[in-house]
Amino acid sequence: MQRRNFLKNTSLGMAALIVKPNFPFTQDTILGQGNKRYKIDTHWSQADVAKYPVNDCHEMIQDKKGRILLLTNETHNNVLIYDKKGRILDSWGHEYPGAHGLTLFDENGMEVLFICDNKRHQVIKTTIDGRVLMVLDYPKETGQYTKAEEYIPTETAITPDGDIYVADGYGKDFIMHYDASGKLINYFGGRGAEEKHLLNAHGVCLDFRNGGEPVLIVTSRQQNAFKRYTLGGEYINTISLPGAWVCRPVIKGDYLYSAVLQSNSRLWQHSGFVTILDKNYKVVSNLAGSEPTYEDGKPDEMYQTIKCFSYPHDVCIDDEENLYIAQWNSDKVYPYKLTPVI
Amino acid sequence: MKKLFLPILILLIFNNCYAQQTFQLAPPMLKYHSIFFQTPAMISMQFAQPDTKIFFTLNGKEPTQNDSYYNQPLEIQKSFTTLKAKVFGDGFLPSETVAITFIKDGLKIKSVQATEPNEKYPGNGAQTLFDNEGGVANSQSKNFIGYQTDSVVINVSLEKKQKITSVLLDFLRDYGSWIFLPESVRVYYFDDKKNEFQFLAEKKIVADSSQQSSATVFEILNTNKKVLSSKIKIVLKPLSFIPAWHSAKGQHGWMFIDEIKIY
Repeated sequence: MQRRNFLKNTSLGMAALIVKPNFPFTQDTILGQGNKRYKIDTHWSQADVAKYPVNDCHEMIQDKKGRILLLTNETHNNVLIYDKKGRILDSWGHEYPGAHGLTLFDENGMEVLFICDNKRHQVIKTTIDGRVLMVLDYPKETGQYTKAEEYIPTETAITPDGDIYVADGYGKDFIMHYDASGKLINYFGGRGAEEKHLLNAHGVCLDFRNGGEPVLIVTSRQQNAFKRYTLGGEYINTISLPGAWVCRPVIKGDYLYSAVLQSNSRLWQHSGFVTILDKNYKVVSNLAGSEPTYEDGKPDEMYQTIKCFSYPHDVCIDDEENLYIAQWNSDKVYPYKLTPVI
Repeated sequence: MKKLFLPILILLIFNNCYAQQTFQLAPPMLKYHSIFFQTPAMISMQFAQPDTKIFFTLNGKEPTQNDSYYNQPLEIQKSFTTLKAKVFGDGFLPSETVAITFIKDGLKIKSVQATEPNEKYPGNGAQTLFDNEGGVANSQSKNFIGYQTDSVVINVSLEKKQKITSVLLDFLRDYGSWIFLPESVRVYYFDDKKNEFQFLAEKKIVADSSQQSSATVFEILNTNKKVLSSKIKIVLKPLSFIPAWHSAKGQHGWMFIDEIKIY
């Protein structure tokens, strides 16, 4: 082939690329509905698996420097710190074999982390670079626990005053309320037949969206629901999400985001998706899930429609409204990044 | 043709490097009360993903886009009809196929007596086994009774003495929850003349490691004998040692059963 022909043919090839031929494998997959639709990038993480391995990717947050922190139960590096382009900036942590919950709190201008370790049966407060500031052991003082093993904390939520709420999501499903110094003030929830009780209280967060005193939103994952409580632990109501094994609620702006570990209709078959609720707790979009519909004010059963995710475990929303999805038990896959489609 | 080769090659290389992967659609949602029916069974299907369609067959063949697509609930009248359904949509790989067999009620059963199930999984007692409710793979469902014993004996009394040709048992398979099919099933019939139970049929089952998803599975035991009886005895052996390929190898398996049919 002559050089001129090569160039001609190559430019033809490039032209074909630019016009994007309508092959199925060249189309971007768009996830979600309405004004909450996203493009997915499964190769966001640039981490070298030999240097920065992960096991379960449990939770993620963004710090005020704009960095994305990932918590994994891989003790080679429990915390991986990324930039938004997926490049590794730093890592730390070897002592969190059950690293599960990761919450960021701005303590008088200094960002601190709360890690729930469900193998150590403890909640650990650290600086953003991993120096331990406080350790909360199992809440013996509630009278509900006889040994540490009964307590398997999964999540924390911190009030502006520094009060700490801990969800014992894999233990006895109580929500513990501590003051900022770690003194137990109250506990509520737990298992039982009443609406106020919980089953797999996997997440907890504070909702400031309606002004006034914030409310607590607690996951009751096996009941496919969130439950709302006052800060004092009084049950308010249940947000039923049929079919969806919701993990922790994450609020950003007017919306509540939650990874759905799996669909009730296909248990333990990698049937997860991500759900987004508006300010009125109405589902507005399911990413890789069924288009939300309501009948008599109640959502119809939700389920996975596209097999992009296996077992999504957390959603982190960055300052540019991109989402990062961490997954549990999904072949040690690094997080995916989702970019809004405008 | 030769001139086209290079651009096509480059196109393919670029696509493989930079294009996003193609995702597979999830299987359709099938809604039905039970796979067992007396009056015709009604099945509805759902898949709330725009620009996709559910294609299905009722003849046992793999659905293609040339088959019927779902637009209204189906009614199934014929026993042992297998519904196969699959979702297709542009830009996605088609879903896996979902296959469900619907089974009509058999000879009228008067009563069932069974070995006491595990206290955690009592179902609705022995009634569970002939209530025409079942075939939904959920270990928490009251439709199942669960055992983790060496042997389970189930005595079935028919409403009247009848010709018996086969026995159907419906089990749950859910390896993640240590729930296996029994390793053997033996069926006996009551011989009035001899005033004792006589052997009718036997089946041995090996746990298949390739079947990883949870599902209900029915086993049919046929007989060539000409048998008239009103009483059937079924002896089941839950899996005594979980095989080596499972994380719980060597442990005693669970057995969950939700329905018995006599034909």
